[in-house]
Amino acid sequence: MSLKFQYFLIFFIFAIFSVYNTVLADSGGVSLTVTVSEAAVCGNSAVETGEQCDGSDLGGATCVSRGYTSGSLSCNSNCTFNVSSCTSAAPSTPSSGGGGGGGGGGGAAIISAPSTAVVFSGRAYPKSTVTLLKDAQIAASTIAGPDSNFQITLSNLSAGNYIFSIYGEDKDGIRSSLFTFSVSVTSGVTTNVGGIFIAPTIAVDKSEVKKGDNVAIFGQSAAKSELTIMVNSDEPFFAKTGSDNNGVYLYNFDTSELDYGSHNAKSKAALSGSISSFSKAVGFEVGTKNVLAPKSVKKFLKDDVNSDGRINLIDFSIVAYWYKRPSPPAKVDLNGDGKVDLIDFSIMAYYWTG
Amino acid sequence: MKRFIFLPFIIYSLLNAVPVLAAKLELVSPVLEIGVGQEFQVDLMLDTEGQDINAVEGKAVFPRNLVELKAIYTGNSIINFWIEQPAQKNSEINFSGVIPGGFSGVLGPYWKGYRPGKIFSLIFAAKKEGSGVIEIRDTKVLLNDGKGTLAEVKISNFAYSAEAPLSGAKAGQFSIKDIDPPELFTPEIARDPNIFDGKWFLVFAAQDKVSGIDHYEALETWGREPDKNKWHVVESPLVLKDQSRASYIFVKATDKAGNKRIVVVMPEFKPWYKKPIVDMIIGLIGLVVLLLVVKWLWKKLKYKWPLI
Repeated sequence: MSLKFQYFLIFFIFAIFSVYNTVLADSGGVSLTVTVSEAAVCGNSAVETGEQCDGSDLGGATCVSRGYTSGSLSCNSNCTFNVSSCTSAAPSTPSSGGGGGGGGGGGAAIISAPSTAVVFSGRAYPKSTVTLLKDAQIAASTIAGPDSNFQITLSNLSAGNYIFSIYGEDKDGIRSSLFTFSVSVTSGVTTNVGGIFIAPTIAVDKSEVKKGDNVAIFGQSAAKSELTIMVNSDEPFFAKTGSDNNGVYLYNFDTSELDYGSHNAKSKAALSGSISSFSKAVGFEVGTKNVLAPKSVKKFLKDDVNSDGRINLIDFSIVAYWYKRPSPPAKVDLNGDGKVDLIDFSIMAYYWTG
Repeated sequence: MKRFIFLPFIIYSLLNAVPVLAAKLELVSPVLEIGVGQEFQVDLMLDTEGQDINAVEGKAVFPRNLVELKAIYTGNSIINFWIEQPAQKNSEINFSGVIPGGFSGVLGPYWKGYRPGKIFSLIFAAKKEGSGVIEIRDTKVLLNDGKGTLAEVKISNFAYSAEAPLSGAKAGQFSIKDIDPPELFTPEIARDPNIFDGKWFLVFAAQDKVSGIDHYEALETWGREPDKNKWHVVESPLVLKDQSRASYIFVKATDKAGNKRIVVVMPEFKPWYKKPIVDMIIGLIGLVVLLLVVKWLWKKLKYKWPLI
């Protein structure tokens, strides 16, 4: 082996390693952006969103512009207009419930103290329900737009670290995996959490598929997104497909290449440079006959102890009752090892729905 | 020369070796020098090192002859639900809890990447001079993978040295400023054959971001206002006294600074026609009417066909 060839070999291996590491670094999936925008601060002599005025800053308003004929407009300590020195007729048309008669000022209540809030935004599925959990309990939900985008605002929070989780529910009632992140919330500011991309839902049409036949892998994601479907075998198989305007995707996977036995599939979506995390895994068997998969969505709710369709504080409480007690019922012993310990709680926490 | 030819490759390989991921449980304190009598705070932090963690248990052990445990604060903890609330037992503090959905670190607007999350804070007072170590033992940290896989854990204990206070100096006392009540929470009523013989029970869990929840109180009443003398300390899950669910249930969460939050669970509304007593009266009336109809028919048929 010549010296030149050895140098070339080293260079080649270096290059391969560099590419490998770059791919690893980029495969992190979803990247969240966490920023803050200052809330209106009443008393800083500057009119901000949500304030009518602030100190001497009246935002260009006068008694005349407020519907009076003359007088001196000033600002109340809660950053609302003080029209007590304005004269003549009452304001022409108070915007809402301005109080009848007298010189009472019209207009709605205005924020007078900085509020602590978090605004969540990102992509789900078109017209799907998006649910937000705050510290593992349901705090809010919304409906995503036809373009899959959603926004949820949570206000009246305390300063501190919160654990937020978001999931989507598709047109068939199938829930996505939980997307969880912890955010430090600062007092008096609005924290914006952007770039959320909810993982697709996934299902299969057969629980057992005859080797060589197709198994339909389908679900919902963001509209017009590119789906990567991974089917696990000795070596994973990857397939790509797209979602339609409703976010629905379907891929007929040929099982000829798969061995007999259990397999599972999961998917992730990509759109405009952002990538979701992987969906839940859905299992199917490659065998000698075709068996249709059950249509119930409850099949995805593993470890729902009280069978109410949710995994939440009630299930936690039932399992916690049996913590370290002898002979727990089979239903609360989630890993079937004859005892309720930390592992059972960890399994439950993974499948949490709130 | 030839024997060194693979040296750069070896160095590069070492530099790029895939690190063994290990979560880190670390006891940290902002105080470096401790005087006798001085109170100091030690936080137990979880650094996931890029892993997704959803359950933690273990115990903190402290030298009881050297320090006194003054308080345990769970405010701002990453643990959402405690299986075993951190509590002192001799010279140990056992704890066990879960983070549904998992925890990878704290994101924030003022830094990049993830920061470690706090599990709880311990407030100690140094009793006498000397060196001591506050340790973490018997830990289990589980991955958020649906199987309860054990994560590798690195432990970092807190070693300190307490010295005599300067003459005339006043020992520092720890105080926590918490003026916010616990956050709004929603108790839920449920029943299940696996606990309490299928009786109705109440579950609840409040959060407090500063000092943490100290205790809960509850009362069941027919009235719309809670009677301040009838509160009693409770834990979740709570078996309901009124199994008919006709009572208002008030739950009060109090944080470690004494701030309170009261929530109410409304009684189950049953329209009058669905109440058991009404069902019984309707049933009786129905039975009487039926008997009268049968009697009337009997008389009528007997008159028409006397041979019956």
